[in-house]
Amino acid sequence: MGLLNVTGIVVKIDLLILIGFSVLSWTIIMFKFFQIYKANADSERFMDFFWKSKRFDAIASQVDRFNSSPLTMLFNEGYGELGKFMEGRGKADTSILSTDLGGIENVSRALRRATNSEITRLEKYTTFLATTGSTSPFIGLFGTVWGIMTAFEGIGKTGSASLAVVAPGIAEALIATAIGLVAAIPAVMAYNHFQHKIRVLIKDMDSFSTEFLNIVQRNVAGK
Amino acid sequence: MNARQDTHDSGLGVSFIISTVIHLVVFLLLLWWGQLFPPIMAVQETYYVDVVNLPVANPRAGSPIQKGNDAETPPPPPAPEPPLSMPPPPQPNARGRAATARKSEKTEKRDTSGDAAFAERMAKLENKAASQQEEATLEQLRKKLKATGSGRAGMPAGSGSETGSDYTAYVQSRLKDALNQTNDYDSNNPMVYVHLYIGTDGKVIRQKLEQSTGDKRFELAVQRAIEKAGDKLVPPPNHKVFEGRFRFRPKEVSRSKP
Repeated sequence: MGLLNVTGIVVKIDLLILIGFSVLSWTIIMFKFFQIYKANADSERFMDFFWKSKRFDAIASQVDRFNSSPLTMLFNEGYGELGKFMEGRGKADTSILSTDLGGIENVSRALRRATNSEITRLEKYTTFLATTGSTSPFIGLFGTVWGIMTAFEGIGKTGSASLAVVAPGIAEALIATAIGLVAAIPAVMAYNHFQHKIRVLIKDMDSFSTEFLNIVQRNVAGK
Repeated sequence: MNARQDTHDSGLGVSFIISTVIHLVVFLLLLWWGQLFPPIMAVQETYYVDVVNLPVANPRAGSPIQKGNDAETPPPPPAPEPPLSMPPPPQPNARGRAATARKSEKTEKRDTSGDAAFAERMAKLENKAASQQEEATLEQLRKKLKATGSGRAGMPAGSGSETGSDYTAYVQSRLKDALNQTNDYDSNNPMVYVHLYIGTDGKVIRQKLEQSTGDKRFELAVQRAIEKAGDKLVPPPNHKVFEGRFRFRPKEVSRSKP
């Protein structure tokens, strides 16, 4: 810690930026960890409940129990669009065929929109992790280069190049790279982990959309 | 949908607080670690020792040894240990023994005062033997000192008897050692006065023959001695040119005031 006291102002600012990056990236890591963990858990429970239930209205009444799952958002959007379609179908019986096709497409579009919305929500803030992972080492390196420049300037002034004179300056400078790596490594690891989890959730949402549309089409065609 | 996102993002503030606390804890841990194991970064001071002007423990050994002399002189041989027990008193011969026996027979008849006189004589003999032994040891040491006294020119193990506590004495000692090796003269008592200038690098930069008895052979011997000694002189103290006047005699080099 004594190293921090003797570093120059540029290196200190550099270190503050890196510490800020680290604090924010860990904030996002924790937030995303709990968000994705809860989304996965609620999605599994919701799918169980979905397949066990016989009616959409029964599911719609219980959907708030699985609030963290992105699939509930899809279900709400699809079910809402389906309700609008059913209302429209009751008013105009003369154009059943054309209205049926248009209604299913509307539900499909609503599901696609909800999927995109959920992907955006799940991926929110993860770009900051990528930014931290890619830029922190360079910011740290900048601090190191600056620190070594200052150290060599000091060596030039003292006129001595012994290890006792050179080593402290380089040690001060290298702490910036060390903190840059400390900030970057967890950020990169977390980013890759979250990307994998989000891809799995996107696949689940695609599967659920397909299943929902199948069910809707079967029921509409059957009537 | 926006309302839902807001609900979900509310955990961000809690995460930020936790993250800040974790970073503070890590920082405090590092502080504690640094206090527990302080980094050793103290710059060690360099001390320079003026070995030329250093007082010499043993003046007979000449000036202190300078680094750079590749050939190290062996340490002086240890003094022979004195005998642990005194030598036995000289044994009297057979006739003496018989006489002593007869005397002892007589003395047996005498009173005890005779025993005291005998003990006194024995003590005197023992003292004499001890002093002889000590004298012999000292003589042996003197001979060894004379034998090892002629060291190489410019080396501190020379036979110089000067204390070597100043640069003049050091130069004088080296010149004397060198002169012992180059000594040569025609006349009975040649004498030469030379003014020497030794540069900051320890080399003889100038020598001036100021006075001479006229013995050319001795003058040449002195010149060779100066050349020989001047090869390995240590630089004068304080980075100044040394200047001194020396008087050369066949077995003596002494300082001389101008």
